[in-house]
Amino acid sequence: MTEVDHLLAKKVADRYLKREVLGEGTYGVVYKAIDTKTGQTVAIKKIRLGKQKEGVNFTALREIKLLKELKDPNIIELIDAFPHKGNLHLVFEFMETDLEAVIRDRNIVLSPTDIKSYLQMTLKGLAFCHKKWVLHRDMKPNNLLIGPRGQLKLADFGLARIFGSPDRRAPELLFGAKQYGPGVDVWAAACIFAELLLRRPFLQGSSDIDQLGKIFAAFGTPKPSQWPDMIYLPDYVEYQFVPGQPLRTLFPMASDDALDLLSKMFAYDPKARISAQQALEHRYFSSGPPPTEPALLPRPPPKKESVDSKPSDFNPLEGPTVLSPTRKSRRVMPHPEGYEGNSRQPEKIDDHGNERSGPAPMSLDFSVFAARPPARPTINSADRTHLKRKLDLEFQIPEED
Amino acid sequence: MATDFWTSTHYKQLLDQEEVDVVHSLDKERGITLEDFKLIKLHMTNYIARLAQNVKVRQRVVATAVTYMRRAYTRRSMTEYDPRLVAPTCLYLASKAEESTVQARLLVFYIKKLHSDEKYRYEIKEILEMEMKILEALNYYLVVFHPYRGLSQGLINDSYRMDLILIYPPHLIALACIYVVCMLKDKDNTAWFEQLRVDMNSVRIQS
Repeated sequence: MTEVDHLLAKKVADRYLKREVLGEGTYGVVYKAIDTKTGQTVAIKKIRLGKQKEGVNFTALREIKLLKELKDPNIIELIDAFPHKGNLHLVFEFMETDLEAVIRDRNIVLSPTDIKSYLQMTLKGLAFCHKKWVLHRDMKPNNLLIGPRGQLKLADFGLARIFGSPDRRAPELLFGAKQYGPGVDVWAAACIFAELLLRRPFLQGSSDIDQLGKIFAAFGTPKPSQWPDMIYLPDYVEYQFVPGQPLRTLFPMASDDALDLLSKMFAYDPKARISAQQALEHRYFSSGPPPTEPALLPRPPPKKESVDSKPSDFNPLEGPTVLSPTRKSRRVMPHPEGYEGNSRQPEKIDDHGNERSGPAPMSLDFSVFAARPPARPTINSADRTHLKRKLDLEFQIPEED
Repeated sequence: MATDFWTSTHYKQLLDQEEVDVVHSLDKERGITLEDFKLIKLHMTNYIARLAQNVKVRQRVVATAVTYMRRAYTRRSMTEYDPRLVAPTCLYLASKAEESTVQARLLVFYIKKLHSDEKYRYEIKEILEMEMKILEALNYYLVVFHPYRGLSQGLINDSYRMDLILIYPPHLIALACIYVVCMLKDKDNTAWFEQLRVDMNSVRIQS
C-alpha cells in the first residue's frame, strides 16, 4: 500500500481499504476493497439494517451461520465479519465473474471439457454442502461465482428459503412437497448442466404450473411407476399425458455419457435421483477427455474498473448479448391474474417448442401467463405469496436499461 | 438445517471446565466471585426461559440462546455486557438463527411485563446494538448442536443450568442424563454403558 492509497481510500475497521462499489446485493451494497492484512482483494457486503427495528437481516444471518461452517475450495469463503457505523459488513473473497456471465457471453465457446470442468466444480461444492446436511436451495448460474484462477464457487447461501429459484425448481417442489432433500439441488444443477450445453436457460417457466408443463413437455408426464410418491404431494394436480422427447433430440451435441448423467440428475422421483457425490463418480467425469484445468477455462474479459461493473449477485451481463430480460426482473414483474385461458396443455407444448427453436422473446412469458388456468386457488395464491416474497426481498432491484 | 457435528465449529470450540470458569478481570475488580459468576449465568438462564415462555418459541431456541449467552461470557465481562441486556438479546438472536424469529418489540413488551425493576428495562434500540456486539463476541459462530432428539426434556433442560454445553459434545450430555436417570431409578446400566464404549469419566463428571 502506498501512502497515496491510504489518503485516497478510507480504511474500514482498521483493515480494509475501500474501493469502488461493485453493485447492489440482496441486502445491501457490495464494494471492492483491499485487505491490508493479506494484500488480498475482497468484496465487502454491507448489510443494510432490516426494515426498521429488526436488527441484523435474517437472511444475512443465515448466510453467516452456514458459511462459517462450510469451508471448501468450491464454496465462497467468508473471510471476516465486522460491525462498522452500526452496519454489519461481511468480507468475502473477491470473485471476478459468475457462470451466468460465461453462459451468456456469445464470444465464449465452451468446449465439452470446459462444460465438464464447470459442472464438476459445481457438483463438488454441492456434494460438500450435502455432506454437511446443508441444502443450497438456490442453485443458479449467477450464484456460481468464478475466481481469478477459474475456480467456481457456490455463493449466496442466504437466499435459500422456502422457494428456490423458480426456473430450476424440482418437480417435487412444484407439487408443494414440504419435506424435500438434496435432490432439489441436484435437479437445479441438472438445469445448469443443460444451460451449459444449450447456452440458454432450459425449462424456463413463468409460474409453478407452467414450469411443470415445461418439464413434462421435455421429459414426458411422469408415470406412477417412475415416481410412485408423486400423487401424494400436497399440490399434486393431474396433468394431461404428454410423451417426452428423447434427450438426444434436446441436446444433439452432448456425448452419450453426458446424456446418461443428465438423465440421472433429471430423474423425476427424488429418491431415484442421483446424488451430487454419485454424479461426481459417474463415468462422464472419468472417461473421455478430462475436465479442463480451471485456470484455462474461458471467461469473459475482466470488466473495466467502473462504478457499475458487475456485482456478485445481481444483473447478468448488460449489452447486446442479452436476449431476454434477466430472470430476476421477470420474476418480480406483476401480471394479470387468472385470464380466461384456453386449455393449457397443447399450448404448453407449443410454447416449449417455440422456446427451443430460438432464444425466448419476452412476450412469450406473457402469453404463458395468459394461458394459466382460470381457477386454481391453491396455486394462484401460492404464486402470489411467492411474488410478494420476491418483491419484499428484491424491491431495490435496479431498473433494467 | 444442520451440519455434521464432528466437523462443526461447535465441536472445534469446545472448552475445558477451567477455561469456562474464568471470571473476567473487570468483574473480579467489582468483587464478582466464581460462585457469583455461575449464579448470575444460572439466573439469566432462567430469565431467558421465562421470556421464551411468553413469546412462545421452541425449546431449541431457548437452548441456543442460553448457549450464546454462556459462550459470550467466556470472552466478555459482565461489567461491560450487562446480563440483563445480554439475556434477551441472546434470545432474540437465537430466534433468528433457529429460524423462528421473535420481534424485538414483543420481547421488549414482555421484559417490561416481567420486570418492574428499571435495571431490566431495555429498549429495542439497545437490544439491536447489543445483537451486533454479541455476534462479535461469538465470533459469528452460530450453529449449536443440542442433546435433545427424543430424550426426555426435563433433565436435559437442567443441563443448561451449567456450562456443560460449552464443554461436552451433546451426545455425552445426553448420555449423562440417561445415566443420572438410571441412578435415580436404581436401574443397573453398567453393561449397557460398556457397550457404548464411551468415556465413562466424562459422563460421571457431568453427573
